[in-house]
Amino acid sequence: MNLIEKILAKGSGRKSVAPGDIVVAEVDCALLHDLSARSCREVFEKKVGGKIAHPERIVTVFDHQFSPPSEEKAAVLLANRRFCYEHGMPLYDCGSGNIHNVAMQNGHIKPGALVVGSDSHSPVQGVMGCFCAALGNDSYAATVMPFSKAWFRVPETIRIELTGQTMPGTTARDVALWLCAEIGEGKINYQAIKFCGEYIQSLSFWDRWLFTLMAVDVGAKAAYIEPDRTTIDFANGLGLEDYEIVTDDPGTTYAAEWRWDVGKLEPQICFPPTVGNVAPIREYAGTPVQWAELGGHGGGRLVDFEMAAQVLRQRRKNDHVNFNLVPGNRHIFREAMKSGQAALLHEQGATWFPASTGSNQAVNMGAMAEGESMISTHVRNFPGRNGSPKAQMFLASALSVAAAAAAGKIVDPREFI
Amino acid sequence: MTSSTETRAFQTARRGRAWMFGDNVPTDQIVATKVVFSPMEVVLKHVLEELKPEFPANVRPGDLIVAGVHFGQSSGRAIAPKAIQAAGVGCIVAESFARTFLRNCYEIGLPIIECPGASRLARDGDVVSVDLESGTVRNETTGQALQGNPVDPFLLRMLAAGGIIPLVRRTGSDLGATNT
Repeated sequence: MNLIEKILAKGSGRKSVAPGDIVVAEVDCALLHDLSARSCREVFEKKVGGKIAHPERIVTVFDHQFSPPSEEKAAVLLANRRFCYEHGMPLYDCGSGNIHNVAMQNGHIKPGALVVGSDSHSPVQGVMGCFCAALGNDSYAATVMPFSKAWFRVPETIRIELTGQTMPGTTARDVALWLCAEIGEGKINYQAIKFCGEYIQSLSFWDRWLFTLMAVDVGAKAAYIEPDRTTIDFANGLGLEDYEIVTDDPGTTYAAEWRWDVGKLEPQICFPPTVGNVAPIREYAGTPVQWAELGGHGGGRLVDFEMAAQVLRQRRKNDHVNFNLVPGNRHIFREAMKSGQAALLHEQGATWFPASTGSNQAVNMGAMAEGESMISTHVRNFPGRNGSPKAQMFLASALSVAAAAAAGKIVDPREFI
Repeated sequence: MTSSTETRAFQTARRGRAWMFGDNVPTDQIVATKVVFSPMEVVLKHVLEELKPEFPANVRPGDLIVAGVHFGQSSGRAIAPKAIQAAGVGCIVAESFARTFLRNCYEIGLPIIECPGASRLARDGDVVSVDLESGTVRNETTGQALQGNPVDPFLLRMLAAGGIIPLVRRTGSDLGATNT
């Protein structure tokens, strides 16, 4: 069995499972954000009710709203908050950060665990060597909350090996964007991905994050990286204890095995209307942008602000671009303050926002008017997701976002390093 | 526990007018973020309007949605299938579905079926019939027939129960899955 099969077998009390089996398994951790907490709470209270089996396992992060913009939104957050308090479920309130970042940084995700999330990008947590898939409201209300269980069809797994080392200016984000297009949107629907190879192994934990993050965009149910020294050091650094290192059995076979070399890859850009549209960023050089943002599920990592600080060390941001910085969690902002990068980016004209999921869906920030464009580290670019359906969202690396903020237009970031 | 006894009362055959949609339709364009938390009667005025402005006013109970690959990608918002269900759509036929959307559909009791070739099967307004159990999909207007993927017995039982919440009431926390 592979890592996912072993976790699903253990969780469902079986000796073994195979792709296609439907199992009901014990959930170790379940994640909700302010939007999904509302839907799940409403379904649970209206149609199910009663006690929550393991309240300590259900983690809520208010991440789309760092401060409610209306009385109606405040009332929803209040109802969510009361629901958490009433049942004794952990809550990370406004200003804590992005759901995935916060859950990871605060030790809720352990190697070998069975995790579920309400957000579609939940498979990102597989970077820890655990299983994590997204579930809908009714699964939460029907089985996760009352029984701490969920049903799963055991997925087939595709092994993706990345070899080589990237050129200067090409970051892990560029590779992940490019790989999404290489595989194709929705191309490996319902299946899981194992990411491996010398390139993946060479990456830091938070750069590996960008690969399991994009799994959902190619349709995958889950993704994982087998735990290694990098994973264990990261887990121990968080103070995690009592975790289980699960790896693939020797001789494990996969539904498919694909390999790419990343050595010749240039910096990339993903252009509207969907995440499968990716090209070398030089092809879009010169496109004006009015907004640039480091934040969201794919950004707001400490390394993103380090890259931005490199670009803006000697220059201010362009006057015609608003450059917004949104830490993925509070720890990241503290580290950016300690290193002086927070002050540097502020002095060069960027604007710090509270730790949150930033402009994702423009719930609390990030709406654009018709004709405006944004370049960001976000993960989605569907028309209408950030204000006007006639606004454009470009997705790129933190280096490319910062370079565009400095230039006032999309540029090849290699001009800035 | 067999599927046939549990699903006897459940109608696995569906027939209705087709509404055609393309590939990779995101939930953002089924129910836009701006109305996600509005009352259903408001949501229904906007369901799928970005792709077919005439859909909200003209969809009738029993109509079918027929679409390309990766239908329902993006956000896992359950309001997207719930709005399609509330609009009266009897079944969604697509080449493939995004998995959170697929899961949400079965869990709320909205029948869906995967059918390779579906995107070229019909035009808006053609009458299409589907059988969830056998997986057959047929354009009654043109006579063209396709073989879709029969719905898994476990999921058929979930549909027959009316979704995961009523299924749990019937089976308890193991959902009757231990025998599948």
